[in-house]
Order: sequence, then C-alpha cells, then structure tokens
Amino acid sequence: VKRWGLIAVVVLLVAWGWLRAFAWFDPLSACRIHIDVELLEGDRGAIRSAIDVVRREDPLVYRALCRWVDRIREERQCDAGDPQADRRVRGGAGIPLDALDPAIRRAREAPGCYVRGSRVIVLRRAPDGGGGPALVRERAEALKRMAGYSQAFWLDRVR
Amino acid sequence: LAILVVLVARYFVWVDVGARCVIGIRPSLVGYDNSTVKRALETLRNGSPEDYRKVCVHVGSINPNPSCGGFGGGCFWHGQNARGRASIDVSTEHGLIWTVAIVVHETCHAIQSHEGRPPGFDYEDECYNEDHRIMRALVQFE
Repeated sequence: VKRWGLIAVVVLLVAWGWLRAFAWFDPLSACRIHIDVELLEGDRGAIRSAIDVVRREDPLVYRALCRWVDRIREERQCDAGDPQADRRVRGGAGIPLDALDPAIRRAREAPGCYVRGSRVIVLRRAPDGGGGPALVRERAEALKRMAGYSQAFWLDRVR
Repeated sequence: LAILVVLVARYFVWVDVGARCVIGIRPSLVGYDNSTVKRALETLRNGSPEDYRKVCVHVGSINPNPSCGGFGGGCFWHGQNARGRASIDVSTEHGLIWTVAIVVHETCHAIQSHEGRPPGFDYEDECYNEDHRIMRALVQFE
C-alpha cells in the first residue's frame, strides 16, 4: 500500500508539472491556458503574472478568459494587414505604414490582439526586452479586453 | 494499427465531415507546424466560412514548408494540374494569423489556376489583397 501511495504521489507530481510547464494552470477554477513563447526570447512568467492580476482583480473576466481563451501567444507584434498588398511596397519603396493603412501601425503598437474564429490571444513581446510591473499591468488590461472580444465572438455565433 | 491511425488523423489530415472537407497535411520537419496549420483551418472555418469553403474546394494538400516564399511566406506551383485540387506550401513560423493569411493567399492562386485569368493579369496583386482582407477581418485589437 505504501509503495502504491508513493507511485501515486510521483504520478501526480509529474502530471502537475506537465500541465503547468507550458501553461497557466489553475485546477480550482478548472482553467488551463497554453502559453506559447519564443524559445530564447520568451518569458512565460511575465504572462502568468498578468493572468494572475486578472484573476485577483476581476473574477468575472477571469472566468471569461478561462472559458473563451485556450492559448496565449507572445509574438513580435500584432499584424492586422499585409503591407505587401500595396504594389509600391512590393516594388521596394520605403513607404510609412500610415500612408498605407493606419490600422496596420496601430495594431503593431497594440499590446495584444484577438484572432476572430479562434480562442487565441496574441500578446506583443516586450519592446527592447523591457519588463516589470508596467508591462504586467499593460498585459493584464489587454487580456481583459481580448477575453471580452473572444467571448463576444463565440456568443454571437451561438445566437 | 490503432496508434498509427490516431497519429495520421492527429497530424497528417484535416477532416471536417460536416463540410465534406478533407485536406492532407504533409509531414513537417518540425512537428508543431502541422498543429498550426490545423489551428489556422479551424480559425478560418469559424471566422470566415466563405474563405474556408474556398480552401476546401480548391486545396487538396498543404505542405508546412518553413523555407518557402523566403522563410515566412508560402508557395503555389503554377505548373501543377489545374483540374485537381491544388497542393500549397505554407510557412507557419510567423504565428497563427500569418498562417491563416498565407493559406488564403495560396488558395487565391489555386483559384486563379482553376478559373484562369486573362493575359497580363497581376496574379500577386489579387492574392495579396486577399490575405490583407482576411487579416483585417480577423485581427481585433481595439
């Protein structure tokens, strides 16, 4: 009995580690959100901190985040359009993004975005390796907003 | 045998019975590419059913090829049989939204191949506008 108990504890610890290693894992809220980051540049810890802020500050939004988002990706930026749709860009002309489509620049400067049709939120990687409480706050606010977008998309679809 | 069937279904084929859509996904050097392709198809199915339908009609297989289109783009081979569903190469290295955009872009080339275009037609112009459109439609940031 003692040996089986030990095996069960080891299995539980391994399962816990596996579930938590690449994700936000909160079993009490039945919440697991996968976190994708760059192998060398990424920092899951900062994203976990931002989710924790959402959990502590706004339980309703946290519930929406857990329900309607299954993956958070850290990427260089959000892209809301393809600059190459403009022939001048394909021709090699250095044209400011605003001259093409101001939405592309605004998306690139946004802290995050939601991809409609998915349960994926993209968070912009910290510029110049910056971090700290300001970044966590910015991301927490972005997560709150994007969770709302995802919830709205999926609920609208059901109606 | 069961394990083999599960692995093939999990990584190498997209099956959507409701839409009668089956698309092969070729093996990739880096395994996660296939799941990104599947996630992109799932996103299109939910976010833009009309574009998804076009992919199902015109594309028969997707090759997750990281080096095609100058690392980060996609490829369509105009020499392939214009009658059958096309094979497209898609890089997934820039994440979900670019993967969706590249699938739509290369599907646009498959449509051009199937429907034909008049001489002098700018093939790339039409397809870049298509991927720009889908990115604008699906990415919500404000």
